[in-house]
Amino acid sequence: MPTTSINPAAVRLSGLHKRFGPIEAVRGVNLTIAPGEVVAFLGPNGAGKSTTIDMLLGLTKPDAGTVSVFGRTPQVAVRQGLIGAMLQAGPLLPEVTVGELVGTFAALHAKPMTAAEAMRRADITDIARQPTTKLSGGQAQRVRFALALVPNPDLLVLDEPTVAMDVEVRRSFWASMREFTAEGRTVLFATHYLQEADDYADRVVVLAGGAVIADGTGASIKAQVNGRTIKATVPGVSAGDLKSLPGVETSGAEGAQLVLGCTDSDLALRALLSRFPQAKDIEVTSANLEEAFLQLTQTGDSARALEGIGL
Amino acid sequence: MTMALRYTGLSARTAFRNKRFLIFTIGLPLVMYLIYSNLYGGQNIGDGYSVSAYLMVSMAAFGGIGAAINTGARVAIERSTGWNRQLRLTALTPPAYLVAKAAVSMLVCLPAIALVFLAGRVVGQVHLTGVQWLSAAVVLWLGLIPFAVAGLVIGFAGTPESVQPISMLAYLGSSLLGGLWFPLESMAGWMQDVAKLLPSYHLAANARAVSGYGDFSAPGVLVLAGWTVALGAVGAWAYRRSGRRA
Repeated sequence: MPTTSINPAAVRLSGLHKRFGPIEAVRGVNLTIAPGEVVAFLGPNGAGKSTTIDMLLGLTKPDAGTVSVFGRTPQVAVRQGLIGAMLQAGPLLPEVTVGELVGTFAALHAKPMTAAEAMRRADITDIARQPTTKLSGGQAQRVRFALALVPNPDLLVLDEPTVAMDVEVRRSFWASMREFTAEGRTVLFATHYLQEADDYADRVVVLAGGAVIADGTGASIKAQVNGRTIKATVPGVSAGDLKSLPGVETSGAEGAQLVLGCTDSDLALRALLSRFPQAKDIEVTSANLEEAFLQLTQTGDSARALEGIGL
Repeated sequence: MTMALRYTGLSARTAFRNKRFLIFTIGLPLVMYLIYSNLYGGQNIGDGYSVSAYLMVSMAAFGGIGAAINTGARVAIERSTGWNRQLRLTALTPPAYLVAKAAVSMLVCLPAIALVFLAGRVVGQVHLTGVQWLSAAVVLWLGLIPFAVAGLVIGFAGTPESVQPISMLAYLGSSLLGGLWFPLESMAGWMQDVAKLLPSYHLAANARAVSGYGDFSAPGVLVLAGWTVALGAVGAWAYRRSGRRA
């Protein structure tokens, strides 16, 4: 198609596969990201997020499938300074100051912004003279963010950027991200917080068991996973007796507790209390991410995805 | 080119700022020289060359080997931090990266040689002409190239846990077997044969030759070049392999 060469997708992953020994980390990921999109990669640990990102960046070679970034191979895109990336946490290079690190990193790119500009955007100007070994977890993450910004990239890739950040730092981090995305650049970030994905991405791609199991707006993903669970001890009643309550979809037992998976927990709770007034120790919880993935994957390719989240 | 230079600059700064590392790699040979030269320094070994001068070249070679190997081996620590993955997301090419790293090792060798030479002049009463001082230093320094490569091989093949013992083994082993601690003449015949296959022996022997003791050995240069080429090939393999994993 001639149009793709004139205005190529920011990211195009087709049929990506990667296996590490017996573990099939990524099984057939297809994903196209348009320029200017802000996309969250949502998934539990082991979903294949980092492996997919590594292939996107050219750090890992796929066993099968292709990666293109602005119509180029990742290696060419990196050399031309089109990609900035914040990799997963690890210590920074020791024995240098933050300013030296960002400055040298700028010099290693084709069309960088100034180190001062990157440090301003990442809000680390005040710690520029500090050695990299004397930083808090949140500060180190912001230094990594500066390293991702300094190439002045068109595509920013962030692998779990807010790990090790406290609430305050997290907020200022996303504020600087907004500044960056407002300029029309493309962003892909991995996270395992549904809320974060919903708050900051235009589009949420859910990965589990090495495959994309959902792709849509944050709201549409949340709608798919907003079921709640009721747990209660109900003497003299078995799980099967509760299955027929209105609003209840599944029922089971965890020791003495009965566990009800609900489509409408308000309705189910009212019915439970009116029919079984002896019910006690009642808890209502919204599905955590793991459970949410379970729900999502039950409608999709369940066996594989369940394996991927360790259930 | 500019990128390689900038990266050399950053890397050199990290190496020179690690005081514990510097004191150990540069300090140990210096202390050993001072002890040895105090014990045996006054005597003449032949050709009007003092034992003090002989030991000075040995210990400068020993120090240089330590600096070259240990600096390169530190790459394993950088790799383990994920820094190398980050570097692969820059426009710095792998050859430029490797040249920069080798250049840093060679830079750290300079103070190792210079300090022992200074101690030789001031404490050991070594008297050489200006040309002899300079050519001994240059021959030593260039002869350290295979060791700089060896350090990088260890740095790319090893893990942060394994590089320390491996580089110590290479560092102390090549120094001992190459006759830097005990003169070759005091060793058994077969050990002398082994020594002549080692770069450490030829490194010191040729540096002594250009400063007035013994003959310069062209085959010795070939041994040094051979080790450089062989280690370079292993290094290229280890580098590619580490990239696949890192």
